[in-house]
Amino acid sequence: MQLKVLATLFLLLLPVASAFGQTDADAQRLLEKIDDNLWSSSKHIEGRLIIDNGRRVRELSEESWMMGVTKGYSHYKSPARERGTKMLKIENKLWLYTPQTDRKILIAGHMLRQSMMGSDLSYEDMMEDVKVSEAYKATIEGFEDYEGKRVAVLRLTARDTSTTYQTRKVWADPDQFIILQEIRYAKSGKALKSVEFRDYFTVKNRLFPRRMVFRDLLKEDTKTTYIFDSIEFDVDIPNRYFSQSILKR
Amino acid sequence: MILKIALRNFFGQGMRAVLNVFVTALIIIATIFSLSLLNGFQAQALKNMSVTDAGGGHYRVPGFDILSPMDWEDLTRTVPEQLKRLPPGQKAEVLVQQGTLFVHQHLFPVQLRGVEMAQELLDLPLQKLKAWSTPVQDTVPVVIGRQMAKASRLKAGDLVVMKWRDKFGAVDALDAEIVDVVPLVNPRVDEGVAWLRLDHLRQITQRPGEITWVVVEGNLGPVDGLEFLDVDYLMNDLLSLLKHDRRNTRILWIILLLLAGISVFNTQYLNIFKRQKEIGTLLAMGMTPSRVVRLFTLEGSLAAFGAVVLTGLLGIPFFAWFQTVGFDVSHLSETGIPVRENIFLVFRPGEIASSVLITVSLMLVVAWWPVRRISRLDPTLALRGRGIT
Repeated sequence: MQLKVLATLFLLLLPVASAFGQTDADAQRLLEKIDDNLWSSSKHIEGRLIIDNGRRVRELSEESWMMGVTKGYSHYKSPARERGTKMLKIENKLWLYTPQTDRKILIAGHMLRQSMMGSDLSYEDMMEDVKVSEAYKATIEGFEDYEGKRVAVLRLTARDTSTTYQTRKVWADPDQFIILQEIRYAKSGKALKSVEFRDYFTVKNRLFPRRMVFRDLLKEDTKTTYIFDSIEFDVDIPNRYFSQSILKR
Repeated sequence: MILKIALRNFFGQGMRAVLNVFVTALIIIATIFSLSLLNGFQAQALKNMSVTDAGGGHYRVPGFDILSPMDWEDLTRTVPEQLKRLPPGQKAEVLVQQGTLFVHQHLFPVQLRGVEMAQELLDLPLQKLKAWSTPVQDTVPVVIGRQMAKASRLKAGDLVVMKWRDKFGAVDALDAEIVDVVPLVNPRVDEGVAWLRLDHLRQITQRPGEITWVVVEGNLGPVDGLEFLDVDYLMNDLLSLLKHDRRNTRILWIILLLLAGISVFNTQYLNIFKRQKEIGTLLAMGMTPSRVVRLFTLEGSLAAFGAVVLTGLLGIPFFAWFQTVGFDVSHLSETGIPVRENIFLVFRPGEIASSVLITVSLMLVVAWWPVRRISRLDPTLALRGRGIT
């Protein structure tokens, strides 16, 4: 009888023990799969940036071309005030061109920390150029119900001391390899920014969010929504899109 | 003899003479007042700058510019041994970093200025910070100036979120408690400045032993990795402003002086025109033309001498009274000028003497200029009132 109880207990605890043994590796694998789902060799996006600063809402429409994680070019098409504004990112440098001044400005170093066009995103957030799975070590904190789904809660710890956000918490769907929510923390552990990934849709066998909602958690009543109206993966992008010569009228 | 006649004639002019004396005296008083007030303002502003920020000069990391906050984080270094050894009364280590306060959920960019608590060189009311222990736990104690408190609507005891970057670029944030709101006589260390303990700022930004500058009593010669900026350099903008103000004061003084000069000139011109018969009589009775010129010049100059006496009679009590009340220039601190208290006059004997001397000299010239024509006057024509037409 005693033996039977022990055997039952062993069988019950076995999956728990194995889960504990595999969680970190699983978490990292999940993160890699999430990156694979989001990242591609090239992307073309048409989207809108809706900036709500609590007092008024502005909507900017833009078109972006991205090559891997290091090159990106965006062209703002509306409103009239922002029309013709261009941004070119190459490695860790960002150039901003405004037609009003007809000049390109290099945004580098500490300038990258400034808010981008009054949004909840900094230029640095916008031009994040490393895969999360490469920049962070993931551990599983547990599983939670998130809007009716059972999701894994991952704790990401930066591998490098110079990474802007040293820790992140991610709510990820382990079956579909998608992130549903992310919170970015200061070194002290204070929550700074949250990103919600909404309305996933399928494109070329990938699941991609239709909307991403960014919130600066230290501000009140502000949010910036990025809406992907169309997205194409693995497209051919001419090299001139990633040359400074494109930064003109 | 001439003096007696000149005095009699001068007083005979009545109200015209009194007005000339009064106006000239007021001009001298106004000149001394404005120059001395500027001296007092300069002395107070420089003292405030010196005791709160500049000291006797800074040893700074080369290239550091307080007006380029984007570069602050890159321009720090560890304190050189030569400066580290100085006693607390001879140096103050300062670290400056960029930060953001989230006041009532609104973003407020600030300069995080850490100053060592043991220093005795600068006169900063940061006693409340001294009471806090190290290291920082969950809350960073911060002191702000009254102007900063007014602009940010913060008060002592408030808890706000403070965000900054550490040395490696990682973003960090903690609650900051406003432990005190202090009166700072220098708005340059008040507006947009959050004062921290140096050890706290070093800890939260992971910059052990680092500084942006070290305030010293004076130049100690070359120091490895730092450049010495003297007080004149640190206060360059203020000194230029004061120099400009001094020039404007002198222009105003010249205008006033010209007005008084014209008044005396006019009086003298009228005198010789109206008193031709008197001049003709004096000449006919044997007085030489040069003596008549001297007589009229002396008569005209008495306004200046009278003004000097009246300046003493009116000016001394006025200045004595003024020194008891001072002049409130606190509104100027809103424009960044480092004076918040009442200012008082600072007299410079050389400046006063030169102002009086120039005024009197000009009066002598304008008193002489119109009457010099007497020397060429024909007595017979003068007696008939046709000498000067």
